[in-house]
Amino acid sequence: MMLLNAKGLQKVYGRKGQTYTAIRSLDLSIDKGEFVGVMGPSGSGKTTLLNIMSTIDQPSDGTVEINGRNMNTMNEKELAIFRREHLGFIFQDYNLLDTLTVEENIVLPLALAKVNANEIERRVHETADFLGLKELLNKYPYEVSGGQKQRTAVARATIFKPDIIFADEPTGALDSKSATTLLRMLTRLNEEEMATLLMVTHDAFSASYCHRILFIKDGEIFTQLDRGRFSRKEFFQKILDVLSVLGGEASDLI
Amino acid sequence: MTLFELARRNMARNFIQYFLYFGSMIISVLIFFIFVSIQYNDEAQAAAADSVKINTAFQAASIVLLIFVALFIWYSNSFFTKRRKKEIGLYALMGLRKKQIGWMLFFENLILGLMSLAVGMFIGMLLSKFFIMILMKLMHITVAVHFSISLPAILETIIVFLVIIVTASFYGYRLIYGFQLVELFRDEKKGDREPKVSIFQALLAVALIGTGYFLVLQDLKPPLWRLPIVALMMLLCIIAGTYLLFRSLTVFILKQMRKRKNVYYKGTNVIGISQLLYRMRGNARVLTVIAAMSAVTLVSVGTSYSFYYNAGEWTKNNFPHSYKYVIPVDQQDKAEQLLYKALRADGEQHKVTSHVSVPALNLDVQMLEYDGGSAEFDIISEAVYNQVAARYGQKDRIHLIGNEATMLAKFYEKKFKKSYIGHNGKIGSVESYENGGKKTFVHYVSYERTKFLQSTTVVVSDTMFQKLARVSKPLILNQIDVSGQEHLGKVDDQFLIAMNNLEKKIKERNAHYYGVFSFYGIYHSTMTAYGLIMFLGAFLGLVFLLATGSIIYFKQLNEAAQEKPQYAILRKVGLTNREIRGTIAKQAAFIFVLPLVMGVLHSTIALGALSRMIDDDLTVPAVICMGIYALIYFIYYLFTVRAYTKMVTS
Repeated sequence: MMLLNAKGLQKVYGRKGQTYTAIRSLDLSIDKGEFVGVMGPSGSGKTTLLNIMSTIDQPSDGTVEINGRNMNTMNEKELAIFRREHLGFIFQDYNLLDTLTVEENIVLPLALAKVNANEIERRVHETADFLGLKELLNKYPYEVSGGQKQRTAVARATIFKPDIIFADEPTGALDSKSATTLLRMLTRLNEEEMATLLMVTHDAFSASYCHRILFIKDGEIFTQLDRGRFSRKEFFQKILDVLSVLGGEASDLI
Repeated sequence: MTLFELARRNMARNFIQYFLYFGSMIISVLIFFIFVSIQYNDEAQAAAADSVKINTAFQAASIVLLIFVALFIWYSNSFFTKRRKKEIGLYALMGLRKKQIGWMLFFENLILGLMSLAVGMFIGMLLSKFFIMILMKLMHITVAVHFSISLPAILETIIVFLVIIVTASFYGYRLIYGFQLVELFRDEKKGDREPKVSIFQALLAVALIGTGYFLVLQDLKPPLWRLPIVALMMLLCIIAGTYLLFRSLTVFILKQMRKRKNVYYKGTNVIGISQLLYRMRGNARVLTVIAAMSAVTLVSVGTSYSFYYNAGEWTKNNFPHSYKYVIPVDQQDKAEQLLYKALRADGEQHKVTSHVSVPALNLDVQMLEYDGGSAEFDIISEAVYNQVAARYGQKDRIHLIGNEATMLAKFYEKKFKKSYIGHNGKIGSVESYENGGKKTFVHYVSYERTKFLQSTTVVVSDTMFQKLARVSKPLILNQIDVSGQEHLGKVDDQFLIAMNNLEKKIKERNAHYYGVFSFYGIYHSTMTAYGLIMFLGAFLGLVFLLATGSIIYFKQLNEAAQEKPQYAILRKVGLTNREIRGTIAKQAAFIFVLPLVMGVLHSTIALGALSRMIDDDLTVPAVICMGIYALIYFIYYLFTVRAYTKMVTS
């Protein structure tokens, strides 16, 4: 079942004369329950693509449909409410609120949607159990490690059981051990909770956890790679092959 | 590119950034300039010269203003510099030497200062006439105020502000030497750690404020040298108490709200409450300053307005008639003609609405409340009193027999009642005393406040009046009411001069004449004096209010700049612009309302004490002042919420 469908996307920055095309022309669709990765060298337009699909940014041309609803026709308020009720976000720099405890950060989407307090408590504990955050609920973000912060962000992104979770370089700021833990959790979310994920990364190791990877170059889809029945390690090797053809900088590969 | 050029370009590009600082500088110049313009205004000085020392009053106020303006500029300057830390750091990183950056900041401050000086004075010139007109109106002086530019005012403003601007510019220059490069790049310190609730602090706060209030509400008792010490203690208690209250009580309230999950986890409450809690400790100081300033403003404006408000009432109560004089019988018609002549000369704009003239005496009366001292008072008979009361539609009647008398005191005080009632006093004429003549003893049966008679009067029985009339010349007591008595101006001048001449003639004949009481004269001089106090109070109050509002405004915008990333996250998580605006409005309301409530509470207590001291009801003027204050304060609130929202959503 098709969950997200983007058609003819284009994004041009700047005004007349001095324009820069971040996305030239792009079609993309994601099915329910998929774990999709987006890769590409710096400046290829992957973050712009993610922002457009997650309704944070508007395309210059083209349409985005999520769950059959057209994002282009919604106003600011409808978009905001759609975001908090149907979309989940994980960012490289966590984007947690310093003034809130771990628990309060996780609660935020439910509180905004005015879910009742008992239900909120129940769901927080359920999610915290799943992500191993139980001991940390009353701590503030400055008191926990990077990996724990990112897991808090994951908890916040998933507590509403969103239609799709967007992750922008979620492992970018983590050490390799925390990164692996996080990726395993995302995989479990995908497999056990049937969560749909779209992850932007330039790290081939992270990407190897996905089912399918889109490679972007100069604002267009360069190629696509399906994991199929490959093991994760084989898939990782294939990704590296594509990247070398793609001609990304050496630093982008690892 | 020269440094001067760099500084100039900086300002042109970031004009909005600079605008706040620029704006507060302009307002400071504007206020100061208007103030000195009034001080040096010829019409204002001439008009008030004979009644009050306008110059001295203004000079004192202008010193207060000067200190205030200097502090205000210093505050906005440091706020402004704080916001530019990163920019300065960038220059340093690009390899500009500290000295060069220093000079750049110096020039920036200088250009900004000189520009605001020019703009402020220009606007001031346009507005000063308006303010002088308000002052004249308040002082009940009718003068045509012309548009004029006062050279000494310009000079004084330029000198004062050049000093301030150059000092501020050097401060900007010095600033860079106080910074470490790494510090310049470090983010503004993230908010404080979550504060703890201290029961001890909360109790201490209540105790301190209680003690302060207790001291305020005490009757002033000698020795008077203790007064300044008591006043200082009072202030310290209240300010310290307010500070602790903000520190402890607010944290307590917020924490209680956080405990109640069904409130806390409802919509944006979780964001608003936690952010307030997070910033409370840093805010306590600012809130205290604002509460104190609000209280000072309300007390000063409230007091001056109350005086002004009550001055008119006081004059009307104490001088119930336009004119009152006591004159020999043969001059009665003459005096009346003089009044009508004066009224005609003014074009009959005012009319006599009532004229009571009755036989009276004026004799030396022993004042029992002052242990035997004596003064000359009006004497009328019981029958005349009752007749006059009827004329004025009053129900009061007096019935006396034999040597009974009633004292009607003008400056009545209840405690003197027992000096009179049941006691004997003596009445006679000064001449007869000197000739060893006789004194007549009267027996006081009552002591009351004068109601419809202008002066202190002794009412005696008809027979006693006959007896006294034998030792004194018959006189006529006149009380006249004229329509529009507040604006008698010319009539009053002419009539009083004419009566003065008449008085000389009467005195040449060695006859008795007892001067004219003119309502207008007293009303006019009272209103002039209190009008000036009112103007100064309101002007300084306005300046304080402006500063108070600006401090919160700056503080909140500074916070907005720091909170911007947090709101960016919230937007991504799915907060609508409306919800963002809502939570900002709630948080700002908390910050605005708390000090206002404390300020109003403090000033209510202070004004209550004042009202007891001067034995006057200040409720109406005080409520009017607080209403206006709250209204302007509310406008500041709206502006703050707007600017904050704009800043975090753009």
